Amino acid sequence: MKLNIEGLLVYFPYDYIYPEQYSYMLELKRTLDAKGHGVLEMPSGTGKTISLLSLIVAYQRAFPLEVTKLIYCSRTVPEIEKVVEELRKLMEFYTKETGESNNFLALALSSRKNLCIHPEVSSLRFGKEVDGKCHSLTASYIRAQHHSNPNLPVCRFYEEFDSVGRQVPLPAGIYNLDDLKAFGRRKGWCPYYLARYSILHANIVVYSYHYLLDPKIADLVSKELAKKSVVVFDEAHNIDNVCIDSMSVNITRRTLDRCQNNVDTLQNTIHKIKETDAAKLREEYRRLVEGLKEANVARETDIYLANPVLPDEILQEAVPGSIRTAEHFVGFMRRFLEYLKSRLRVQHVVQESAPQFLKDVFDKVCIDRKPLRFCAERLQSLLRTLEIADIADFSAVTLISNFATLVSTYSQGFTIIIEPFEDRTPTIANPVLHFSCMDPSIAIKPVFQRFQSVVITSGTLSPLDIYPRILDFRPVTMASFTMTLARTCLCPLIVGRGNDQVALSSKFETREDFAVIRNYGNLLLEMSAIVPDGIVAFFTSYVYMENIVASWYEQGILENIQRNKLIFIETQDAAETSMALEKYQEACENGRGAILLSVARGKVSEGIDFVHHYGRAVLMFGVPYVYTQSRILKARLEYLRDQFQIRENDFLTFDAMRHAAQCVGRAIRGKTDYGLMIFADKRYARADKRGKLPRWIQEHINDGSLNLTVDEAVQLSKHFLRQMAQPFRQEDQLGLSLLTLEQLESEEMLQKITQIAHQT
Amino acid sequence: MGSAQGGRVRLTQSHSGRDTVPVQTEKMRHLYVVIDCSRSMEDQDLKPNRLTSTLKLMEAFVDEYFDQNPISQVGIITTKNKRAEKLTDLAGNPKKHITALMKAVDTVCVGEPSLYNSLNLAIQTLKHMPGHTSREILIILSSLTTCDPANIYELIKTLKSLKVRVSVIGLSAEVRVCTVLTRETGGSYHVILDESHFKELLMLHIKPPPASSSSECSLIRMGFPQHTIASVTDQDAKPSFSMSHLDSSSGPGLSLGGYFCPQCHATYTELPVECKVCGLTLVSAPHLARSFHHLFPLQAFIESPVENLQGDRFCQACQAELKDKSVFSCPSCHSVFCVECDLFIHESLHCCPCCIYRQTAP
Repeated sequence: MKLNIEGLLVYFPYDYIYPEQYSYMLELKRTLDAKGHGVLEMPSGTGKTISLLSLIVAYQRAFPLEVTKLIYCSRTVPEIEKVVEELRKLMEFYTKETGESNNFLALALSSRKNLCIHPEVSSLRFGKEVDGKCHSLTASYIRAQHHSNPNLPVCRFYEEFDSVGRQVPLPAGIYNLDDLKAFGRRKGWCPYYLARYSILHANIVVYSYHYLLDPKIADLVSKELAKKSVVVFDEAHNIDNVCIDSMSVNITRRTLDRCQNNVDTLQNTIHKIKETDAAKLREEYRRLVEGLKEANVARETDIYLANPVLPDEILQEAVPGSIRTAEHFVGFMRRFLEYLKSRLRVQHVVQESAPQFLKDVFDKVCIDRKPLRFCAERLQSLLRTLEIADIADFSAVTLISNFATLVSTYSQGFTIIIEPFEDRTPTIANPVLHFSCMDPSIAIKPVFQRFQSVVITSGTLSPLDIYPRILDFRPVTMASFTMTLARTCLCPLIVGRGNDQVALSSKFETREDFAVIRNYGNLLLEMSAIVPDGIVAFFTSYVYMENIVASWYEQGILENIQRNKLIFIETQDAAETSMALEKYQEACENGRGAILLSVARGKVSEGIDFVHHYGRAVLMFGVPYVYTQSRILKARLEYLRDQFQIRENDFLTFDAMRHAAQCVGRAIRGKTDYGLMIFADKRYARADKRGKLPRWIQEHINDGSLNLTVDEAVQLSKHFLRQMAQPFRQEDQLGLSLLTLEQLESEEMLQKITQIAHQT
Repeated sequence: MGSAQGGRVRLTQSHSGRDTVPVQTEKMRHLYVVIDCSRSMEDQDLKPNRLTSTLKLMEAFVDEYFDQNPISQVGIITTKNKRAEKLTDLAGNPKKHITALMKAVDTVCVGEPSLYNSLNLAIQTLKHMPGHTSREILIILSSLTTCDPANIYELIKTLKSLKVRVSVIGLSAEVRVCTVLTRETGGSYHVILDESHFKELLMLHIKPPPASSSSECSLIRMGFPQHTIASVTDQDAKPSFSMSHLDSSSGPGLSLGGYFCPQCHATYTELPVECKVCGLTLVSAPHLARSFHHLFPLQAFIESPVENLQGDRFCQACQAELKDKSVFSCPSCHSVFCVECDLFIHESLHCCPCCIYRQTAP
């Protein structure tokens, strides 16, 4: 259907539209009009992706000069593929309606592992291996050597692409990963490099977060993307953690040992080269004196995305003399490495700031701040000069040099924590140096500064106002949308007491309490008897789950549960978990019924959807607070308090509630789906916790579903499940939660729609 | 009151949906009812418990079923403890089923049900039923799990190829495997809300389902045996054993009279039955006549608001004043009825009394 969104003609590829989709598009349009950033929360399963795509594509067509590109960031490969399929549907609709094929180019980009078509390289199993092997076939000096010595293997796909691929742009169309591969095979071009080259002139790019947020990758892939782009981060409820992870470094003894080997190899290679080709090293030296001026020129003309690892000031200067020659640099690295080793030989926990660390480095091994800042650049240059083919082997030394650059560049927002052992195993020495980023805004700042509009969206972003604070940006729109429903298909219940009136809670003091554990067991047992097919139960941590399950086993509760349903458990082992998941789904399919015990923040809680019968009920045992004794977390909380005036408790609660919302949100994946959401902890009934749940869940929690006993919850659930099992047809939704064009345009409906978006 | 009102709406809906499009329906039905007797049947959300309540409704169902489908047959299977057992074989005699059902009240409910085993047991008999009759299974499932010895999806394929229609009435919630089972085999799947809803859902299965177009169309050989009552004094009469007593232990069944198969002269004490000797279907004429109304279903009455009605506001059937908001009028004779009479006419009479009156007294 064709919609009119405040004067903009939007083609929408379906005959029906949800009211909240219309509302979402309105907000999105306002964001784009204002050329600002937005935070939008809309429940999953209400067609967020297609609304985003339809509106932004329409906007691009209407104002080709205002918005040139859409950069859609998603988390996983299946999600990327789903976005591309929706886009394909949209483009087919455009072609059908307008009768002309538009020259839109949209493509997905992923790692070499997912795009390689080289018969040997693509058969490798791990991403790192593929990258390394690819580099050893396509590096510039390898190809130069290939000219003189044709026996040296190179990648023929890359050669072919390099010789002709850049001249003709990729024909307009929609390309998912398989399409790119097929196209590459047909032409004999490397799909990965073709995609990387094509994103520069593509209208829509769909790729992973890391291509924008991880400074090491962003620098390679995304730095030349146009300023007038719209960036969308989908499923962005964890974006702050992604930012922090991309800037943090952990160094163990193993890393240092491998780094030692790397440095030795470098030394040997330098010796060899000195004997054979001294001119090459001299050339490098000259280049370093010239400095990074060229990069500086590029950044001034605003071509490049700023690189947070390499701040502007560095570019003004040349590489300092002390590390300019190759031998000096290797010696320098050796000193630094020895220093780190000495720091790891500690008996007690050390926490210090970056300036303290630098002062200590200077006192102990006389290394200045300045050369440290150039460490990463210098190493890259050296690796290029030495013509080292397999970069993958040098990951340890690269990590150390990145650390050196980061620690000397940022005096704020980072902390260094050295722990001699893990908290859980205080007898085993396993020293770790955490260089931990505490400020997610550092990694994402370049994105906000560079791009015209950045939209952060997810099903669970409540409370909305905290994201702009921790990411340090000023949004023009912030809105939360509810789900309009023809029938109440979600049933959130807060169970606060057992049948014996013992308060249920996972808080630390009652964690070991026998009565609480028994009541949790009873809750699961009763639920397993009345909920059909699949139940997913989330615990707050692996340790807690193990304790409880062991205790249930002793009390014979597990045995009783198994009479009703099979039990599967998520473990930290990915292969084991995916096996359990597969069998779980099979049991749901066959009518045997199953329970999946898993952990909030685990793999299951984030990426796996439990549609329809795979998740008829989700139980959340306890409030999933993060492990508060961790020093990294403590440091971060302190930083948030000092810098952003966010109270520790507020942040912890926010973090716990977003994970709880993620977990229970797994069960409802659309309007025809239905599911119970059971929060088993009396603390959920408090206003400060409840108020942080997404609005689309909150509005279904009424006073009657607070602080229930197990029996009361069972009665309510039974009734709910029977109601939901009654026939439900599309006609029942029509006019209420599903609209035709005429219904949408009626005065009354437009009135209603304005109430869907909840501005904050 | 609220639910009764809702029930009426539902009934009238289901009714008008079916009646406006006259379809050919099955005349001879073979129905297996599978009753779940697993642990969950002891649940007391139906009073006094699920099992007793179900069996009670089943008695009414069997009665009504034979009333509406006189030449059809029913069998009952129970499942518990991962096994399935036949409570009664396929037969056309309501008495036998009802006694069995009455006895079953004392069953101990244990273990889990097995869908696979019950379906398999039902197929064993149903697959030998002639193609022009319907093969149906109705499952009353209380449990939310099933314990199957093999992949049930294979069995569903078999059911589909054998054209067995499986319907399910769930007593607790929607189970995925039942959704698939009923969708694939063309049956219906309902979950009860309360006891009266349960009854309605059960009664939906009394109406014969529309005949599948692919079912064999053939003339059926039937025998109409005459009932002979011979007195003991009659010298020609020879006592004989009723064939229907062969497999039951109750009484010797030696009698002078009975129904004699016109083909082989085997004796039967009751009809309808399939002759054990020559395989002829034996029915009586009234039986056939009763299933006649399914061929020409009475058209749905037209609902209109009471304000539109001119003249007397009295129901033509019960003569009571029309107080409800809407009235129903017969499309052919335009007589007006109240909602109760409309239901009664469609459910039980199957003909409009005013039309009949006009035919007889013009």
